[in-house]
Amino acid sequence: MKKYLLSIGLLLISVCAAAASAAPHLEGSFKVGPAIILITILVLFVLVGLFFRAKDTNDFYAAGRGISRVGSGMAIASNWMSAASFLGMAALMYGSGYHGLAYVVGWTGGYVLLLILMAGQIRKYGKYTAADFIGDRYYSRALRAAGAIIAILISIAYCVGQFGGIGLMFKWVMGVDYSAAVIIGGLVVLAYTLISGMLGVTKNMQIQYVIIIVSFLIPLFILTFKFDYFWVLPQLGYGAVVSDAVSGIPLNDANQLMNSLGHEFGMVAAPEYAMPWDPATGKSFFQWIAIAFSLMIGTAGLPHVIQRFYVVPKARDARWSVVWGLFFICILYWSAPAYAAFGKILSSNPEVGRLAKDAIVVYTAQLGHVHPLIVGLLAAGGVSAAFSTVSGLLVAGASAFSHDLYVRVINPDASPKRQLLFARLATILMAVIVTTIALAKLALIGQLVAVAFSLAGCTIFPLFLLGIWWSGSNKQGAVAGIIAGLLVSVVALTYFVAGKMGTTLPAHEFISYWLGAWYFAWFGAPLAIIANIVVSKMTKPTPLEIRKFLVENVHT
Amino acid sequence: MNDSPEEYHISFFKPTTRQAHFNRNLVVWLVLVWFAAIFGFQILLRVLQEPTPEPAYLAFRETWSDVKNNTATAEQWQQFGKANLSVLGKIAVEPGEIRILENALNWSVLQLAHDTMQAGMKRDIALFERLRNSIHTISDPEYIIARQLLSAETSPLLELDPSDVRTVILPLHLVAGAMEPLATKTVRELPGIMEKYLVHNQSVLTDTRFLGFPFHYFYTAVLLLVLFVGLCWLYCVRTDRLYKKLSIED
Repeated sequence: MKKYLLSIGLLLISVCAAAASAAPHLEGSFKVGPAIILITILVLFVLVGLFFRAKDTNDFYAAGRGISRVGSGMAIASNWMSAASFLGMAALMYGSGYHGLAYVVGWTGGYVLLLILMAGQIRKYGKYTAADFIGDRYYSRALRAAGAIIAILISIAYCVGQFGGIGLMFKWVMGVDYSAAVIIGGLVVLAYTLISGMLGVTKNMQIQYVIIIVSFLIPLFILTFKFDYFWVLPQLGYGAVVSDAVSGIPLNDANQLMNSLGHEFGMVAAPEYAMPWDPATGKSFFQWIAIAFSLMIGTAGLPHVIQRFYVVPKARDARWSVVWGLFFICILYWSAPAYAAFGKILSSNPEVGRLAKDAIVVYTAQLGHVHPLIVGLLAAGGVSAAFSTVSGLLVAGASAFSHDLYVRVINPDASPKRQLLFARLATILMAVIVTTIALAKLALIGQLVAVAFSLAGCTIFPLFLLGIWWSGSNKQGAVAGIIAGLLVSVVALTYFVAGKMGTTLPAHEFISYWLGAWYFAWFGAPLAIIANIVVSKMTKPTPLEIRKFLVENVHT
Repeated sequence: MNDSPEEYHISFFKPTTRQAHFNRNLVVWLVLVWFAAIFGFQILLRVLQEPTPEPAYLAFRETWSDVKNNTATAEQWQQFGKANLSVLGKIAVEPGEIRILENALNWSVLQLAHDTMQAGMKRDIALFERLRNSIHTISDPEYIIARQLLSAETSPLLELDPSDVRTVILPLHLVAGAMEPLATKTVRELPGIMEKYLVHNQSVLTDTRFLGFPFHYFYTAVLLLVLFVGLCWLYCVRTDRLYKKLSIED
């Protein structure tokens, strides 16, 4: 047996090595080495899932109750780090410079709010899903159903960007066009979710985190070393790369530093890359603030993020797992801008042509002469990031449908077999919807994901914030808040879709600017909170049993 | 405890227990620091910023009226051409804007070429364009040599230093068909394009270097994230201490 394994291993290594000797091309035909790495990693995830299989529903939902805070932090980070973090963030900075940092700040600063306002209390409340909390706290089946539908919509919006990322990476690995790559990638991720979605999720997430972060950091060390920057800590070393991009890099024959296409490491001065809200990027100060704010409150309202706090043993562990989770997330977020900075310089020659921004992480590694197998590992890391998030989101969406909608609202007597069937059907339906939207290529990955954040910020966040911290918030207030939040969301998204279809609606420019699709929560969330408070004050108080529960169980 | 609304009421701003009181104060302080660190700094950046032109923009402003009236000297044409090339070297430029900039660049190059040289230069550019459209890879040796030769032929016209990146970019933006007088659209839109790409919001916070970074970039991309982790850590430590002091079992 060992001999067989050894032979297979040697064969794989030789195939990979043969693939690695091919001339570097940014795009092109099927890449054997990266494909093998990608398949190996996906098979590894499934095997780990099988090995740490959840034994029952409770074990699945609360899979992490036996793991450490650091392990739980890794699971939070893996759950969080999607294609938007891995690929999308560098793309945003590559395309719009300092404006892209609003996403970095938004996607990390929200954890502070989540921790100090919610994490411990959510754990103490003791529900499994966001819809469970909403239905219970606001004593309403209709609100539970609304919460479940919103959670599904958020999952779909979040998945669209991920499918885009998977499509781009499959396109890069397989050398097919984007549409075919999205469909193939969608089928693979669906199969992966159906096989591994109910397996040892939390253990898998820790392993996924290690693979994602290692694949992301190795090329960065190589790039900073090769181009003569401070490589020991690339997260600081790239500062000089940013400054060089700002002031310009003259040609220098002595160093002979070149990209993989033979262009010398030099560029004209590009202060627009680092200067705040630069006119060249077309982005304004208001947009920076609105995006950062919307992403931060969206972070504290995302169902699949909130759900992580139900699966730790104690409220104290929930709090500390946020600290570790944020630290692990920051390792990637400190590094992503470095890819954008190197990408800016390495692709500055007009001969490189216009690169797909969302794949700039991989292109940068290629242009920087990083070994093709390591670039393959990087691409596989991007796919892993998307897969880990998508499978979690599809499972969360499917359970919102089967658990919160079908069982709790439609058919309370449904057998476990029937529940499972509905969960699987919901997973397939969601994957079809997401693939269809992803094919339209509406925006960058990071921007598409930001839509989900704004939606969560306008709807779920106000319900949790007031539900936990103000016992006066009642069912009627919650209904008013959710209507206000949804109204703003619908207006913003209608104008966005109309704009993409080439239709001009009344006051189109005004609405599109002030209620942009990736930051409408700056307005929607405060409006929903105000509506909730005003209507709650005007209507019957919250029932005593709910208030008692809040006082005795959540805040004591 | 009776069941009156006052007895069972939770409000963040009206804490009723020692623990809740402590928690409110801690949260308020942390949110204030968080808010000031994120938004306060961005507001400060906005307040301090000054529109700061690149040297290329100043050169453009100095030469534009003479170029427009076709009364520019050779030195002015050089400054004007180099300014256009500075923008063409930026990645972010839109395709429509590239055509306008190429018209301006090519016209300035033609103005600088001696009458006896113009026909030959146009022919070389056209040949290079044809070669560029026919090759499969930019590492084609014949293409590389042709590009270097064209750069050697045209860079001296703009007096570009050999270490200047623009010597590499120049042949890629020479278009025989664009060597025409400035089009009406070019005259109308070029000043706006130059201002868009060559004037930036700068201040002492953007011009100061810290650990190799422009300071504002370091602050937002690195330091804020450290602060977020620090704030979370501080909250957990303070809460744990309080719980221990009050003997609260979590």
